[in-house]
Amino acid sequence: MTDAPALALRDASFGYDGRLVLSHVELAVARGEFAALLGPNGAGKTTLLRGILGLIPPLTGTITYGVDRATRPPGYVPQRDALDAIVPLTAFEVVVMGTYARLRALRFVGRAQRALAHASLERVGLGELAQEPFWALSGGQKQRVLIARALAAEPEILLLDEPTAGVDPGATAAIMETLVRLNRDHGLTIVLVSHQLRLLRPHVRSVIWVDEGTVTKGAPETMLAPEHLLELFGVHGNHE
Amino acid sequence: MSTLIQILSPDFLLREALVGSVLVGVVCPLVGVYFVLRRMIFLGVALPQVSAAGIASSFLAYRLLVGNHQHFDLSERVLAMLGSFAFTLAALLILAAFERLGRETVEARIGFTYALAAAATILFVAFDPHGEAQMVNLLKGDILATTGTSLSVLATVYGVVTLLLFAFRKEFLLVSFDRDLAVVFGKRAGSWDALLYLLIGVTISLGVMTAGPLVTFGFLVVPPLTARLLTRRMTTFAFAAAGLGGATAFAGFYCAYVLDLPLGPAQVAVASLVFMVVATVRLLWRRAT
Repeated sequence: MTDAPALALRDASFGYDGRLVLSHVELAVARGEFAALLGPNGAGKTTLLRGILGLIPPLTGTITYGVDRATRPPGYVPQRDALDAIVPLTAFEVVVMGTYARLRALRFVGRAQRALAHASLERVGLGELAQEPFWALSGGQKQRVLIARALAAEPEILLLDEPTAGVDPGATAAIMETLVRLNRDHGLTIVLVSHQLRLLRPHVRSVIWVDEGTVTKGAPETMLAPEHLLELFGVHGNHE
Repeated sequence: MSTLIQILSPDFLLREALVGSVLVGVVCPLVGVYFVLRRMIFLGVALPQVSAAGIASSFLAYRLLVGNHQHFDLSERVLAMLGSFAFTLAALLILAAFERLGRETVEARIGFTYALAAAATILFVAFDPHGEAQMVNLLKGDILATTGTSLSVLATVYGVVTLLLFAFRKEFLLVSFDRDLAVVFGKRAGSWDALLYLLIGVTISLGVMTAGPLVTFGFLVVPPLTARLLTRRMTTFAFAAAGLGGATAFAGFYCAYVLDLPLGPAQVAVASLVFMVVATVRLLWRRAT
């Protein structure tokens, strides 16, 4: 274990189709940190997340991970609506895909990968649903299966794109409880995009704020203070 | 029963046509599974038409540059294969590039491709009256003209396609289901897409050459759609699609032989009938439970 951050962006700029969305981002996420990525709609949260994941190349600057990405890629949890329900998959088959991270071409899923997939499903509390069709699960269960898939890649850092969007309060609480446990008990670094400020406030150790092309980071007490939110959103701190 | 024994006999006169059509029935659905997974079903209509346009263009180009070609000569099949494969692969790569750019809708691109390919096929044939007889055979389905040599080529190439689809199934599934995750994992998503398109191109080209565009499209799409209704997991989806394709191709051949029907349409009709029966039973089952 080194003191190097789990994730560092130096002078990184991102954009699409020649349009600059985020410029000269300086950001470091420490190992074991639980960070919320927040900001108004259209501010560039998803752009930043996709840039960190390598899904869009930075226009300038660098992105470095605390570990070798080739051998230890980040865990990625997309929004469940980004996946197509036409693919017939069981929950277990979805989770097994996480093990592909370390499987080269022509290497097949074996006993070790199956065991890892089962263990990952158990870690999110869905072991008994392994053979259920993925698309028959509830929204919250699907999201936890996707978290299990990310865990099956054995990542050091987990990046989630609005995992609680469109999920009922009970399932939202289960997802947050899972993430808090993974961060607290397993030291997993987590960066989570969300709009639900009240939900995140008790759990996160830092807030990454994205707005008007810039990125700032601070403690939740400062970033989620009512006067700061009022300035940004025109609302008080009970914003959902 | 005696007809079935006759068909299965090693001395059966149309043995090459039977084996060839069952091979098309088994392998086209294996590729078609990815059409369904990627919601590219209409590409299954357009690409065989593009392949037919490729065959027509190669005949025309040969006549303009070299002279008249000999019908039923091996060189004619090689010529047709080259044209078919070149056009199919080029169309796939162009469509994939437009997909990445995100310009226009998928339906618009595929609709335009189909219209252009259909028009080009007719125009190429009109410019080359010498190639017309062969083209008409291809459009109807030329499976009865399958020879021992062409069957060997079909079996070898489809064998390689099946092996590659099996060997790289986890990569093809990953880029088809969640391309972003493949990129995050450092997989070369573009290369896997290209290999999958290459296998699709080869399968369609040879399918059109062997059985015509109608049968190729029918078996690319209908068995996977039926299998999708029957299976809940990816592991069994491809096997069920291939099994259904092979079985309905054989049943279609049997019906065509017994009832003296055109072979290709009979096979597609049987595959479609199975789909309708499965869909109806599933609907009734769901309502009852």
